Amino acid sequence: MIRLDSVQRRYVSEEVETTALYDVDLAVETGEFVAIMGPSGCGKSTLLNILGTVDRPTGGRYRFGEQELAALAEPALARFRAETLGFVFQSFNLIDELTVEENVALGLAYRGSRAQARRARVAEAMDRVGIAHRSRHYPHQLSGGQQQRAAIARAIVGDPKLILADEPTGNLDTENGAQVMNILAGLNEGGATIVMVTHSPSHADMAKRRIDMLDGRVIASALRAI
Amino acid sequence: MNRFALLSLYRSLTRHKLYAALNVGGLAVGIAVFLVLALYVRFETGFETWLPRHDQVYLVQTEWHIPDSPFNGAFPNTMGGLLDQMREDFPGLVGTRIRGGEKGGSVLRGGGATTEDIAQVDPNFFRVFDLPMLSGRGDTALASPASALISETAARKYFGTSDPIGQTLTIAVDSPQVYRVAGVFRDLPQDTELQFSVLLPLPKTVPNPYWYHWGSTSISTYLRFATAADARSFAQKLPPFIDRRGFKDLGKDAHKTVNLTLLPIARQHLEPQGQQSASRKITVATLGIVGLLTLLIAIINYVNLATARAGLRAREVAIRKVLGADRGALIRQFLGEAVLMVAVAALGGLILAELGLPLVNAAGGLSLTIPYAEIVPALIGLTLLVGIVAGAYPALLLSSFPAASVLASARAPGGGRAGTRMRETLVVVQFGLAIAFMIGTFVLVAQTRHVRNADLGFRRDGLLLVTSLSDSNVTPAQAHAVLAAMRTLPGITAVGIANQMAGGSGTNNADNVPLPGKPGNGPSLRWIEAGQGFFDVYGTKPIAGRLFDDAHGSDDGTKRAKGVAENIVITRKAVATLGFRTPADAVGKTVGGSNPLTIIGVVPDLRFLSPRLPNDPTYYVYKRDLPSDPVASLRVSGDPRAILASVRTLWQQMVPQVPFDGDTADARLGRLYQADDRATRLFAIGAGLAVLIGCVGLWGLASFNTQRRVKEIGIRKTLGASSGDIVRLLIGQFLRPVMIANLLAWPLAFVAMRTWLAGFDDRVALSPLYFGAATLLAVAIAVLTVIGQSRRASRAAPAWAMRHE
Ligand SMILES: Nc1ncnc2c1ncn2[C@@H]1O[C@H](COP(=O)(O)OP(=O)(O)O)[C@@H](O)[C@H]1O
Ligand SMILES: [Mg+2]
Repeated sequence: MIRLDSVQRRYVSEEVETTALYDVDLAVETGEFVAIMGPSGCGKSTLLNILGTVDRPTGGRYRFGEQELAALAEPALARFRAETLGFVFQSFNLIDELTVEENVALGLAYRGSRAQARRARVAEAMDRVGIAHRSRHYPHQLSGGQQQRAAIARAIVGDPKLILADEPTGNLDTENGAQVMNILAGLNEGGATIVMVTHSPSHADMAKRRIDMLDGRVIASALRAI
Repeated sequence: MNRFALLSLYRSLTRHKLYAALNVGGLAVGIAVFLVLALYVRFETGFETWLPRHDQVYLVQTEWHIPDSPFNGAFPNTMGGLLDQMREDFPGLVGTRIRGGEKGGSVLRGGGATTEDIAQVDPNFFRVFDLPMLSGRGDTALASPASALISETAARKYFGTSDPIGQTLTIAVDSPQVYRVAGVFRDLPQDTELQFSVLLPLPKTVPNPYWYHWGSTSISTYLRFATAADARSFAQKLPPFIDRRGFKDLGKDAHKTVNLTLLPIARQHLEPQGQQSASRKITVATLGIVGLLTLLIAIINYVNLATARAGLRAREVAIRKVLGADRGALIRQFLGEAVLMVAVAALGGLILAELGLPLVNAAGGLSLTIPYAEIVPALIGLTLLVGIVAGAYPALLLSSFPAASVLASARAPGGGRAGTRMRETLVVVQFGLAIAFMIGTFVLVAQTRHVRNADLGFRRDGLLLVTSLSDSNVTPAQAHAVLAAMRTLPGITAVGIANQMAGGSGTNNADNVPLPGKPGNGPSLRWIEAGQGFFDVYGTKPIAGRLFDDAHGSDDGTKRAKGVAENIVITRKAVATLGFRTPADAVGKTVGGSNPLTIIGVVPDLRFLSPRLPNDPTYYVYKRDLPSDPVASLRVSGDPRAILASVRTLWQQMVPQVPFDGDTADARLGRLYQADDRATRLFAIGAGLAVLIGCVGLWGLASFNTQRRVKEIGIRKTLGASSGDIVRLLIGQFLRPVMIANLLAWPLAFVAMRTWLAGFDDRVALSPLYFGAATLLAVAIAVLTVIGQSRRASRAAPAWAMRHE
C-alpha cells in the first residue's frame, strides 16, 4: 500500500542544516499495524508527517497505492488526506472552541458527505471509542484519555485507509493508554492499516511489526512472533 | 515593574516587531491626529483671549426681526451713532466704536495709493482694547484728531528702520488727511476678529447720512462691563432704550423689529451672522470630534492588539504566578507596560504632529504651532490616562488566566470566548467609526466639488471683477472715464456695472413689496441696482418679457418722474413670491404700494453669494448712469490674469489716488468656498488617518487571530481542508463584525451628514451611493486584509502548524 524509496528530509534554516531523515526505504501493506520506535529526535514524527502528506520529503519517492504523491499539488493532497487518512496526536489537537461532537464531525467536513449520513457516522464513531456520553462537552472539560478517544473518533469517522498515530499514549496514564491501545488494536482487527509512533515497548508489542529508528535512519524492522 | 518584567516586555516586543510597530505606530498616529485637531479647536475657540480683561468686553449685535426678510438674525454691527445715544442715556458707560478695519482705507505715497487695514476708533479705545504697545502711549494718543497709531508691520513697511514716532502719513478713509504717528502697537495675533494695522481717531462728523438712522449697520460697537452681572442688567435696559430712541425710524415697539444684544467678544469668532447656519461652530465641533474619535480608534487598536498578544503570553503569566507573583503585581506589570508603550507612542505622536503640522497648516489655511510648555504636561496626563484605559482590560484579562490549566498542557489559553467577543465588539466599534468617517469624507468632498461646479446661472470663467470702483474717493467722472477705457481694452468683450457681482460685493439691499389687493407689507425681496451691460456680462437671457433697454427711456430709475412706476426685472424665484403662476403671467404686472414697480421681464436666478445662503427672490432696477456703490464685472476672452494686469495698469494711470482692487470671479468665488474647503481637507486628513489606523488594527488583529488559530488550521488541513477552505473560513468570521459595523456607521453618518448639509442652501443629495461605496471599501479592505493573512497561514505546512504552539 505504501512504498517509500530513499526518502530524505532536510531542514535548512539560516544557521543550521538538520537532516531528519536519511534515505528511508519503507513498505507498509494493507492491514498492517506498524509501531515505530526510537529515541527522541530520531525522526519518527517527521516520517509520520511525510506519510501523512502534511510534510514533503526533500528527496526520494512516496507512492501510495498506484499514486506518486510527491507529484501532487497541495489541493490534491488535501483531498487525499480528507478521503484516505486519519491522524491521532500525542497532544490530542482538538479544537478548543468546538464540542467533542463538532470536533468529530470535522473529520467529515472536508469530504462533502450529506449532513444526514454525517450525523449517523459521527454518532457511530463516538460510540466505538466510548465518548458518546460526552458529545456536548468542550475539550477542556474532558480528561486526557477522553480527549484522546475523541481525537481517535475524529480520525476514524471517515473510514480512513490509513491511520497515523504519533505517540497517541504519550500524554496518558497507564490505564487510559491501555484503553487507547485496545481501541487501535480493535480498529486494526477490523481491517484498518495503522502506523503508530510510540516509546512504550509494551504498546509496540501490540503492533504486528516493529520498526526501530536512530538518527534519521531505519535500523531494524521485525515482525512480531505470534 | 521589575527588571525581568521589562526584559520580558522587551523580548516580547522584539520577537513580534511588526505587532509592536503596529501597536505603537497606530497609537502614535492617533495621538498625532488628536493633538493637531486639539490645537485647531483650541485656536478656534480661543479667539480674543489674548486681550487683557477680554471677558469684560462685549460686542453689541443688531438683531433683525422682519417677517420674511433675508436679513433676519444677529449681525456684529450697529448704527454709527449708537454709542453717542447710549452715553447720553447711560452716563458712565465705557465703550468704543471701530469703523472700517480690513481694507478700510489707503495710504497715499509718491503719487500712488496702497490699501491698508485702517480703523477709526473712539479716543477711549484703549480703555476697552488694551493693546500691548511697543512705543508711544495708546490711551492718550487718539485724543488728538491728527494722530495715528500703527502696527509694528506697518511701521516697518512705511518707515523701515527709522523711528516712526512723529513722522507723518497721508491716509484716505473718506478723504485724504495728514496724520502724525504717535505710537506703535504690537501686531495683532492670528486669533482675533479685530483687523487693523492703523488706528485713527473717529472724526467728530462722519459723512454718512445714516449715522443716526436706527436700523442701519455701519460700524462695530464694543462695551466694557466690570462684571457679567453688570452686562446682564445693562442688556435688560436695552429694549426700552431702543423703543425710546428708535421710535422715529422704526415706529412703535421698535425693539421688536431691531433689537440689540450683547455678545462676549470671545464668542464673536464662531457666532453665525444673520441667516448663516452655525457652520463655524459645527466645523470646530466636527473636527474636535474627529480628533477624539481617532484617538478612540487608536486606543481600541491598542487594547485589541494588547489583549491578542496577551493570549500568546499566557504561559509567561502562568509561570510568574507559579513563581509567586500575585494578581496585583501582574496587573501593575501590565499597566506599567501599557503606560510605557503609550509614552513611546505619545512621543512618536508629538514628533508626527510636529512633522505633519506644516501640511495641516497648508491644508487648513492655519498657522498652528505646538506650544510645548502646555502640550508636554497635557501629553503626560494623556499618556497616563490612555495607558490606564488601554492597559486595564489586557491587564485584568492576563492576570486572570488560571495558571494550573495553562501549564497543565495542551489546553490553549487566549482569553477564551469572552476575550474573543470583547475583541469582536471593539472591532465593530472601530470599523463602524471608520466607515462613518469614510461616508463623511465622501459626502464632504462631493459637496465641495458640487459647490465648485454647480450652475450659478452664469459662466464663472472668463469673468473679472473690479471692486475699487465703489471707493468713495473715485469721482463719478473718473468712474465713467475708466469704464469707457476698459471697454476699449483688448480682450474685454463686455463691461457690466451693478452694486452686486459674483462672490458678493458687500452691498445687500432688501425691501418689502406690498402686493395689490393683499393686506400687509408684502413679501421681502432682495433688490439689486443694475447699470449698463450687467446682464450682457453675466450672459443672462430673459425667460419671459425683456431685459432693461436704453431704447426704453422709462427703464432708467434715476430719470423717473415721481409717482410713476419703476420698471423692474425679477428672478424666477420671485415669480411665485410675488404671487404669479408663471413667468409670463408676471410680465406687465405692477406690484408695490406707494413705490410701484412694473415687471418688464423675468430672468433665471443668479447665485452671487455663498452656497450656504439661500438664493433669495430678487428684483433688479436699472440705473443707467451709475448705481450706488458700483462694482464692475468684465467678460473677457483670453488669459484673465493678463487682462486683469492690464486693467490694473489702466486703473493706476486713471485713478491714482485709489488703490486698485480687482480679481477673477474664480478667485472671488473661491473665497466663499475656502472655509468649507479647508474644513473638508482637515476632515479628510483626520478621517483618512483614522481609517488607516482602523485598517492597521484590523490587519494586526487578523494576523493575530490567524496565528492563534494556526493549530486549528493545521488540524483542519490534516483532515483534508484545502487552502481555499481555510481562507473562506477566516474571511467569513471577519466579515461578520465588519457587516455589523456598517449597521452602526450608517445611521451615525446619516444624521451627521444631514446636519452638515443642512448648512448649505445649494447642496448635494445624501445619496445611498456614499454609504454603499464606504461599505464596499470597508468590506474590500477587510477581505484583502484577511486574505493576505490567511493565505500565508494556510500555505504553511500543516506539520509546522501542528508543532507550533
Ligand atoms: N521545523 C524544523 N526545523 C528544523 N529542524 C527540525 C524541524 N522539525 C524537526 N526538526 C529536527 O528533525 C529531527 C527529527 O525530529 P522529529 O521527527 O520531530 O523527532 P521525533 O523522533 O522526536 O519525533 C530533530 O533533530 C528535530 O530537531
Ligand atoms: Mg515526535
